[in-house]
Amino acid sequence: MLEIKNLHARLEDGREILKGIDLSVGDGEVHAIMGPNGSGKSTLAAVLAGRDGYEVTEGSVIYRGRDLLDTPADERAREGLFLAFQYPVEIPGVNNTYFLRAAVNAQRRHRGEPELDAGQFLRLVRAKLKLLDIGDDLLQRSVNVGFSGGEKKRNEIFQMAMLEPRLAILDETDSGLDIDALRVVARGVNELRAPDRSIVMITHYQRLLQYVEPDHVHVLQEGRIVESGDKSLAADLERRGYGAFGEVPEAAEPA
Amino acid sequence: MSAILDFPVRPEARPYIEAFDHRAVTAEPDWLVRDRRRGLSRFAELGFPNRKSESWRYLDLQPLEKRPLIPAHAAPEADEAGLRERLAGLSLPERARRLVLVDGRFAPGLSIMEPRPGLWLGSMAQALRERPDLVRPAIEQAAADAAAHPFAALNTAFFADGFVLEVAPGIDIERPIEIVHLASGATSASLHTRSLVVLGAGSRANLLEIYAGPTANGPAYWRNDIVALRVGEGAELNRAVLVEESAEALHLAQTDIMLRAGARFAGFALLLRGRRLRHEANVAIDGEGAQCRLDGAYLVTGSDETNIVTEIDHRVAGGHSSELIKGVAADRAHGAFQGRIIVREHAQKTDAHQLSRNLIIGERAVIDTKPELEIYADDVKCSHGASVGDLDEAALFYLRARGISAEEARRMLIDGFLREAVETVEDLATRTHLLRHLARRLADLEG
Repeated sequence: MLEIKNLHARLEDGREILKGIDLSVGDGEVHAIMGPNGSGKSTLAAVLAGRDGYEVTEGSVIYRGRDLLDTPADERAREGLFLAFQYPVEIPGVNNTYFLRAAVNAQRRHRGEPELDAGQFLRLVRAKLKLLDIGDDLLQRSVNVGFSGGEKKRNEIFQMAMLEPRLAILDETDSGLDIDALRVVARGVNELRAPDRSIVMITHYQRLLQYVEPDHVHVLQEGRIVESGDKSLAADLERRGYGAFGEVPEAAEPA
Repeated sequence: MSAILDFPVRPEARPYIEAFDHRAVTAEPDWLVRDRRRGLSRFAELGFPNRKSESWRYLDLQPLEKRPLIPAHAAPEADEAGLRERLAGLSLPERARRLVLVDGRFAPGLSIMEPRPGLWLGSMAQALRERPDLVRPAIEQAAADAAAHPFAALNTAFFADGFVLEVAPGIDIERPIEIVHLASGATSASLHTRSLVVLGAGSRANLLEIYAGPTANGPAYWRNDIVALRVGEGAELNRAVLVEESAEALHLAQTDIMLRAGARFAGFALLLRGRRLRHEANVAIDGEGAQCRLDGAYLVTGSDETNIVTEIDHRVAGGHSSELIKGVAADRAHGAFQGRIIVREHAQKTDAHQLSRNLIIGERAVIDTKPELEIYADDVKCSHGASVGDLDEAALFYLRARGISAEEARRMLIDGFLREAVETVEDLATRTHLLRHLARRLADLEG
């Protein structure tokens, strides 16, 4: 599904953030990438999704057999790559339903499938809404405007459910969620686990991993993956802290 | 016309003076003939406003100086099928009362008048014959006010027609009344129209005015339009304007609004197309507790220019006014908003707010925004704000990260930005119509 080799990336100001990432994600696998603040987690997500402002200086990323880094951000998304944002963007004046239908239809056109009309789209929406316990009223509002932190994160997973990606990257999807919201989001993610869908969860804490069990866990430190293992590594980290990898652990985030 | 030769005549006025002498003379009341002559001499003296004149500094009138556009004679033979087709694309899809002016003259065959008691709707030419009691004071007043406004003076000299709407006291006309000012594109000329709306005490009306030309690139024309709106005590008028002129058109429109005590007026303008557009609205709050909204949205592209110029004059106490103007300029286009608010000495407890928000797409577009507050009373609440920014990069990326192309994402963001202003329009049918035209305009915006 995804093959990252020796990936180096820097910011526009020249600071190198990713210093040689190697990661291989197979079909249907769930990976967790854990690391302290400033380790390069969000940069990795941004580079994979194609956000401007990062320069890849070395290495390669192959996604489903093609060079991902050469592909524009919107085409990556139409090819089935999905990024759940750490900070979903508020877009005043753009209706959530209108936005979502534009996204779904852009993908369908790309695949050569007929676009959904308003009725078909609404039926699909209703089916997926139940999954994430989202009220109809959220759909009538502008994209993310006036949403609570939890609503924004649920809306991200709802979009993921609508777009049915092949590879989903969840960037700190658990941050800022209370325990109930975390459960709802985790249920949504678990429902979306499938043999042809891979998921990469980027997180600081182990919390989400208690609800969504990863097949592989990686520790990211100063722009490199310093250790990989199975899910027991996450528990290990929780006990030992990132300090065991040469860094002082941060105070735990209040739930 | 020897009278005007006593004045020094500005060179750019000469072709118009000549045209005045050669126009087809129709029987008109003496007072109007006098006003027209006065208007012409005033224009001969003033010539075109130049850029030193504050409210004209953002509009380039040089092309008009180089190439005069003489007032159109009687309506040229228009292609009626073509006009009907263009109308179908412009009008409300719902059946509405509709008065159509083609090249500045009433076109009864294209209009739907639906007479009813308490409503007088007709052409200015007809009103001059049948309702001089109604139109004469307004025209005389405008002629006096126009002393310092060259194009208003020229309009007085030349206006051929227009529309007149009177709603009797207490009458509520719920469905929107549509006025379509259509340019046929058959000739290169100037179209001078003069219109009047009078709402009796406690009455209510919704007005949608559409100014449009042919979609195909026709010859340049110059629209010089003046509308007076008089909203009586406790009356309510909602007026929306849609401007979709043809690509080479010069559109100058001036609206003078007079609000009596407790009157409510909501004006909205959506300016979408035309080489040079100037939308001027002057509000006089003349009765206590009157409320006024002046909102607008424009999109200007290519090397076009769009100006919105407003003046709200709080003459008496307890008035409320609010303005929200949203502008988008792309390519090498130039947009400008000038908003003047005057609060007179006796206009205590006035509440006046103005907000101008703008987006610039690309590196070569320009937007000017200029609030002017003159406050002479001490117990008032007044505020103004202005911002000019780029499209939000984070929002663009968010949309693209969901598979939406960069081009469509830009369109969605511009639509979302301007939509906020359009959504102030209260009447649902009108609002929906304006949003549809905005979407259509954005669809042919180049990525």
